[in-house]
Amino acid sequence: MTTTHSTTKIVDALQAALPGRVDTDPALLDAFTTDRSGHRSPGAPLAVVNACTIEDVQAACRLASEFRVPVVSRGAGTGLAGGAIAGPGEIVLSLTGMDRILEVSPANRLAVVEPGILNGDLNRVLAGHGLWWAPDPASKDISTVGGNIAMNAGGLLCAKYGVTREAVLALKVVLADGRLITVGHRTVKGVTGFDVCALMIGSEGTLGIIVEATLKLQPLVSGGVATVGAFFDSVEDAAAAASAITAEGLVPSIMELMDGRTITAMERFAGDAVFGGAGAFLLVQCDGPAAQATASRAAALATAIGGRVETTTDPEESDRLVGLRRNAFPALEAMGTMLVEDMAVPRDRMADAFAAIRRIEQKYDVAIPSTCHAGDGNLHPSFVYTGDTVPENIWAAAGEMFRTALDFGGTLSGEHGIGLLKRAWLRDELGDDQYELQRGIKELFDPLGILNPGKVFVPED
Amino acid sequence: MFRPGMKGNTVNTSPTASAAMTSATAALLESLACASTDPQDRAHASTDRSGYVSPSVPDGVVFAESIDDVAQTMRRASELGVQVVPRGAGSGLAGGAAAHAGQVVLDVSRMNRILHIDPVEQIAVVEPGVVNAAVNAAVAEHGLFYAPDPASTAICSIGGNIATNAGGMWCAKYGVTRESILALRVVLPDGRILDTGRGTIKGVTGYDLNALMIGSEGTLGIVVEAKLRLRPRPVHTATLVAYFPDVAAAAQAASAIIAARVQPSVLELMDGQTLAAVDAAQGSDHAVRGGAFLLAQTDGYGAYLEQEVLVEAIRPYASSMEQAADAEHAGALMAARRAAIPSVEELGRVSICDVGVPRNRLAEAFAGLDAIAAKTGVRIFTVAHAADGNLHPMIVVEPHESITEGPAKEALGEMFHLAKGLGGTLTGEHGVGLLKRDWLQAELGDTSLELQHAIRDVFNPRGLLNPGKAI
Ligand SMILES: Cc1cc2nc3c(=O)[nH]c(=O)nc-3n(C[C@H](O)[C@H](O)[C@H](O)COP(=O)(O)OP(=O)(O)OC[C@H]3O[C@@H](n4cnc5c(N)ncnc54)[C@H](O)[C@@H]3O)c2cc1C
Ligand SMILES: Cc1cc2nc3c(=O)[nH]c(=O)nc-3n(C[C@H](O)[C@H](O)[C@H](O)COP(=O)(O)OP(=O)(O)OC[C@H]3O[C@@H](n4cnc5c(N)ncnc54)[C@H](O)[C@@H]3O)c2cc1C
Repeated sequence: MTTTHSTTKIVDALQAALPGRVDTDPALLDAFTTDRSGHRSPGAPLAVVNACTIEDVQAACRLASEFRVPVVSRGAGTGLAGGAIAGPGEIVLSLTGMDRILEVSPANRLAVVEPGILNGDLNRVLAGHGLWWAPDPASKDISTVGGNIAMNAGGLLCAKYGVTREAVLALKVVLADGRLITVGHRTVKGVTGFDVCALMIGSEGTLGIIVEATLKLQPLVSGGVATVGAFFDSVEDAAAAASAITAEGLVPSIMELMDGRTITAMERFAGDAVFGGAGAFLLVQCDGPAAQATASRAAALATAIGGRVETTTDPEESDRLVGLRRNAFPALEAMGTMLVEDMAVPRDRMADAFAAIRRIEQKYDVAIPSTCHAGDGNLHPSFVYTGDTVPENIWAAAGEMFRTALDFGGTLSGEHGIGLLKRAWLRDELGDDQYELQRGIKELFDPLGILNPGKVFVPED
Repeated sequence: MFRPGMKGNTVNTSPTASAAMTSATAALLESLACASTDPQDRAHASTDRSGYVSPSVPDGVVFAESIDDVAQTMRRASELGVQVVPRGAGSGLAGGAAAHAGQVVLDVSRMNRILHIDPVEQIAVVEPGVVNAAVNAAVAEHGLFYAPDPASTAICSIGGNIATNAGGMWCAKYGVTRESILALRVVLPDGRILDTGRGTIKGVTGYDLNALMIGSEGTLGIVVEAKLRLRPRPVHTATLVAYFPDVAAAAQAASAIIAARVQPSVLELMDGQTLAAVDAAQGSDHAVRGGAFLLAQTDGYGAYLEQEVLVEAIRPYASSMEQAADAEHAGALMAARRAAIPSVEELGRVSICDVGVPRNRLAEAFAGLDAIAAKTGVRIFTVAHAADGNLHPMIVVEPHESITEGPAKEALGEMFHLAKGLGGTLTGEHGVGLLKRDWLQAELGDTSLELQHAIRDVFNPRGLLNPGKAI
């Protein structure tokens, strides 16, 4: 994006309008050139605005509109698609300072929060009320509620409890020109007009800035948990077991699959053969009154497919098994820079998807350790490399992976979003007509094109 | 299968048969083999179940049998500049499918096949005209169910459910229609075909146009195919009915259940007037047992454990409680609730309203409704999906009185202000349609309404599809 006004002018104007909220220190700005995607922008942004109130956000947007300067909203910067990365000529709007809980209403099972609160912090407070907010990305302790909403984040528990979209009742959103709107309803149901709230969820900071959220809460699950860890010789067997569990009509709260390459990385990271050298690991956790009954049925199905199965209702042992899964990313990150893919396929194509990953590994001569939210068919094939730029063969392999997902009737991204990383393939998935409609929507919310430009859609010129 | 208003044959009479028809609609109807200008078809398509009386009848009805029929109709209509009103089963309560002279109705009720059921993926692919209950009957064989079940399940179509984002009794636990639709095939106003959503449970590529289509009341496109998410049937279901001295006590009990952190799958409330109406129509004796009724179901492996918690929450308020002894008994209790609307409809002309309030304000909402009845002189009978704070006050007037003007309209307006004052909404599940447009701006505000119009223009730039509805 080119600007006709001098870039110092907007910074001056921001500083005058928002004294004490604007940082231009290059050392600080460097942090905003990356997120957790492995991407880095070509240089530092102009400034970061540390918003503390809705009015701050409105003022920043009004000035950005006036000076036609791009605004990149940013939560905790844990995104895996490059969505919060800012570069030269852009302003970062940081929302982590807006982190208050404004209301918890057990009688309505809702909470009203500012966008910058960390998911984990919120859930610790809610637990005191016997409630929780279901979106549960593996990054819950380090990502913001606003970022979760902007990405429509999923997680380990969402096969049973739904993704972020199902857990948001209403939003306050600041538009590109600084106007404030409320979308959605404080009531559980409501159908007045088009569902602009759903449109905002997952819009990756390209339609507006989420400044307040009314969240739908759930009662904490009673009755304890039962956990099954199943070790298999091959990933195909593990995928078949997961499919069998779904086909049986069981609804575990967590069902996670890890392949042999991930297991090897984790055993190296832990310095211990925690998986006993298995070729794949399937983790199944069941909660609620049916926990034990569901778990023993799942265990029987896994055993029938050749799994070596451990079942436990002991909370500590359960935590240990779930911890095995939560450590997968850190173990892989320890080996270099990570590029995490995020395709989703129909649940009966999981074994095919793993077979395709192995074929791509051979064709491009790369290792692709993969984990999978098996309850909803969402795979995370990961590439690990050294340095700041993604090697050529990895890009090529990633591209083929996307096409494979589409061939299986699946999608490019189950939960991490498009950002910079997958924008080149968006049109392939949506088709020309839908792509144009989506652009039409982008244009009506953001006619000047100042909200997170270059993310989600490839710039036209 | 029940197919409301369907006639064995449609006649393709000459356009001159209808005097008021414009040359454009005549040209459209003449070019389509599946079009009818039969007066009865047209009269039928001029309204829905809202009580709205259209000033005139549409010029014709197209009975589409395939996606191709729909696409061709829309292509031709946009060339000719003809306004088109999509129609499913016509059970809508907001006048959304109502049509008038100069318009053509596109009825998709003949597109009623279930194309595919995948029990492993727990997915069904259906045409839009299939009746909601028919889907549930078909998937039950596989131990599955489709959760959004409006009380009108036997007389409404899946396409209409999607267009109105319908709710129902089970949606407290399982979500409304939006939560059960994975993907849609839609014909745009110019006849192009658009696929939204995806075949997977999760997906975040681009904006959520699937959610935008759901609840758009036929103003953005015509739903011609839907991929539905199914769920495993719960292993146990526990049903309970409780009677209360008055509706305030029942509302307090419902709020207590929410606060007690159990998740009922069904929580339905009926006030005393409605109980009496049901008794009169069905020969039952609910009203002698109390002045209000709460039907609660819990399901899953923990159904009976959850029911115990629920009983404790209700106990301080209830005058009596009864657990369903078996499935048959439970079915009879559910049937009493499903009979509420038809029973009230026997008493006069009825307008079924649809306000939503935060769940801890139910008792205040009922008190407010009493005040509105007193003030406007209309009778109000109320049922509520209590677990989501969604009330259906039914305004009843004498058969010769207007249900869309005068005191009935005044009462509707008062209800909206009541809901808004309690932090609620104009419509929880029936939609805005034609009948609630007057209050939309007050709820959404100018900026939101402007955006809504702009969104419609992206899909429907010439405003030919269901004009004047929803926004
Ligand atoms: C170890 C690890 C594990 C992860 N596991 C998961 C997982 O299981 N599931 C999952 O879905 N994701 C996962 N993620 C990805 C990431 O944590 C999520 O996408 C998260 O929702 C991002 O939140 P954030 O606050 O870090 O947002 P950021 O990275 O700061 O921003 C993400 C995007 O949202 C926009 N944005 C942020 N805040 C706002 C706002 N208030 N208004 C408008 N736009 C805004 C930004 O512009 C950007 O486009 C993981 C990441 C890591 C590092
Ligand atoms: C006794 C009774 C009980 C009811 N109970 C409930 C309830 O519990 N919950 C609830 O939510 N509703 C309820 N309703 C209202 C009604 O049944 C629902 O709104 C239903 O979803 C309408 O479906 P339909 O097929 O009859 O649609 P129609 O009435 O034919 O149309 C409704 C709207 O959808 C549009 N439309 C229809 N089909 C399509 C399509 N294929 N593509 C695009 N647009 C389309 C129409 O243009 C119109 O705007 C009840 C109605 C009655 C009469």
